[in-house]
Amino acid sequence: MNAIDLPFFPTDQFDEDREVLVDLVRRIGLAPSQRFILGEQTARFEELLRAELGAADVVACGSGTSALTLILRAMDIGPGDEIVVPAFGCAPLASAPVSVGATPVFADVDPWTMVADPTAVEAAITPRTRAIMPAHIFSVLADMPAMRRIAGRHSLRLVEDSAVAQGAVLDGVPAGRWGDAGVFSFVQVKSFGGPGEGGVVVTGDAELGAAVRMLRNHGQDGARRFVHHRIGYNSRFDELLAAFQIHRHPTLGRRLDRRARIAEYYTDRFATLADHGVLAPPPGRAGRCYYVYTLLARQRDELRDHLAAQGIGSHAYYPLPLPAQPAFARFAAVGQRWPAADQASARALSIPVYPQLRDADVERIADAVCAFVGRSVSPERIGARP
Amino acid sequence: MARSAAEVTRNSRNNQRPVPFFTQAESFAALWPLISEQVNDVIDRGKFSHGHKVAELERALAEYTGAAHVIGVNSGTDALVILLRAAGIEPGDEVIVPAFSFIASASAVVLAGGRPVFADIEPDSYALDPSAAADAVTARTRFLLPAHLFCQLADLDGLVELADRRGLTMVEDSAEAIGMRWNGRHAGRFGAGGVLSFFPTKTLGAIGDAGAVLTDDPHLAAVADALRHHGRAGHTINHFPGIATPTAYPGMNSKMDDLQAAVLLAKLTRLDAEISRRNHLADAYSARLRGCPGIRRLPAMVRRTATTNRVCYVYLIEVDARDELADWLAGQGIGTETYYPAPLHLQPCFADLGHRPGDFPVAEAACARTLALPLYPDLTDAEVDVVCAAVRRFFGERG
Repeated sequence: MNAIDLPFFPTDQFDEDREVLVDLVRRIGLAPSQRFILGEQTARFEELLRAELGAADVVACGSGTSALTLILRAMDIGPGDEIVVPAFGCAPLASAPVSVGATPVFADVDPWTMVADPTAVEAAITPRTRAIMPAHIFSVLADMPAMRRIAGRHSLRLVEDSAVAQGAVLDGVPAGRWGDAGVFSFVQVKSFGGPGEGGVVVTGDAELGAAVRMLRNHGQDGARRFVHHRIGYNSRFDELLAAFQIHRHPTLGRRLDRRARIAEYYTDRFATLADHGVLAPPPGRAGRCYYVYTLLARQRDELRDHLAAQGIGSHAYYPLPLPAQPAFARFAAVGQRWPAADQASARALSIPVYPQLRDADVERIADAVCAFVGRSVSPERIGARP
Repeated sequence: MARSAAEVTRNSRNNQRPVPFFTQAESFAALWPLISEQVNDVIDRGKFSHGHKVAELERALAEYTGAAHVIGVNSGTDALVILLRAAGIEPGDEVIVPAFSFIASASAVVLAGGRPVFADIEPDSYALDPSAAADAVTARTRFLLPAHLFCQLADLDGLVELADRRGLTMVEDSAEAIGMRWNGRHAGRFGAGGVLSFFPTKTLGAIGDAGAVLTDDPHLAAVADALRHHGRAGHTINHFPGIATPTAYPGMNSKMDDLQAAVLLAKLTRLDAEISRRNHLADAYSARLRGCPGIRRLPAMVRRTATTNRVCYVYLIEVDARDELADWLAGQGIGTETYYPAPLHLQPCFADLGHRPGDFPVAEAACARTLALPLYPDLTDAEVDVVCAAVRRFFGERG
């Protein structure tokens, strides 16, 4: 196998900002305030995002995962409460409910877009349900208008796992603003990734925002140190990360646009492959965020190996649906199945879509995917239904 | 309450340079060649959390502490939660914690699903009193969680003996205890495991949040390693997306930033020298404050049967009129900190446990009287003179 020269995630994403980053480390280390956590830079970053999103509050915290946990705690969700989550997605969808003592209830996903299926979400609601928590996944926003209607109909809180979707807009509403609260993650691989771990809670509910502020820093009220009103967390934001994100924010739109253009090219090139066992995501930009570009391939592992042989990295998120993970199996009702989640786990393969890819790289990746289909022995079409 | 540098400057009524409660700017500047080299190495490698530099720091700390396993995480608080979970805490398990400590000693127990049960402290070490802890043991007690505070270890012989006698698992809140050893063995290695905090003001401080779990138990280390990264089993550090690994435990995301690890690796080269400097400054304080009216207690090493060493993370005095003294010093441009204004059993977040003032008198007395004076390697002997003169003036004026 050749060495991977087009990795799935780049390792040089901040090289053009190296001097800025090194200088920020020095300046923050030497700053007269000697304030390194939840200081002026963090407040500026929160306000930047709050204004951009038209939110009541944006609260910076340790990670996107932690942001979900803080939201659930701020909503006083805990033992005995159920939260409906997608059966396919990242572990925090289940571990955040578990971390507050609540029970994740899994709903199946759409077999093509892999986001939670509104019908399945509504069917999973019981008298113990307190919240629904759809997630945007790969490049597709969950059906938030439908989720909003379901939450309203059943008087449930709507938590939006928008960790991957910063910059996406659906029906004029930005990702993160559809829910009672949403989150973003800045772990480096994300669209607005930074050089460290961090996340934010986004909310239109000022009271909820205030509760998250208290919970992120040990239950303190921000005025009196070492008096703890609630059992809180250490889930704070480093000034270094805030300063760097502020620096990179003006160019985020350009990078998001580059991701979308690469995705458009892929989707155009792959339009005919559906008849040959490789299904591209739906085209378009409305309600889309090209954090990750994900194909559904009937011979997923063979496609992965084929790409690797040509030096192209790819990644299979998530090889097991959440109810099949050892950690969460105890929350899976006996006999219940999530066929679309199973299929997504068997077929999803994500290919590089980061903005540093050159046009020639993108064409090479598209050519390699098309060539796989050309030599594939199995011409059957991927079904849109499992 | 901490007096911020700005507040202190604003309040300063004379021309004397303010003495902040904390700064590391000068030592950071001195270490910059090493720090910048480490930072550039992180950028070269291109992984900014849970990456190569974190692994390098883990190895360096394992060597420094002698622990078989060091697991880098996002904070000392997270380290305690992860340690308790990896040590097998079950919902409802009782954990004996000191009534006087930073909140995390007790909140981590709740976050891990257990029930904190408070016990009083020794008046001189400010750490869990083994005989008080013994009285707090019930049939549901499973863990003993002492905290080592300020400049010395808890009575580890007494606590280990209690844990052994009652079949309890000891986990140490050694967040403040880097460099502290008991018969040569580093803090955090006397029970199932311990933690380190690299909060910026700590003896080994980052320029952001970071922490670590210490343990000699390979199974506990493997579980802690998984818990910090979404419960994903197997060693996930340095593995780029790492996302394909099955989730074995409901975990959390508590990964350490490599840029923080870079700063810590640079500072680790100076740690023993900085500890010596801290101890020298503490001696300078004590020499100038001894006999000062109004001061009830200066820091002192408790005589133990074991050989122990002093690491002055905090210089803590006990005084009458503590809050007035803090305000007075702020007015003189001198920063202080109150560790801690309220004992854990009387914190609002534990109101449901139904404790009352008087339940743990030693802890309550400490909360009424303790004040931390500036102590960090960048502090000068002249600044110690300034602080001590101001303290003496306060008590002189009142006297």
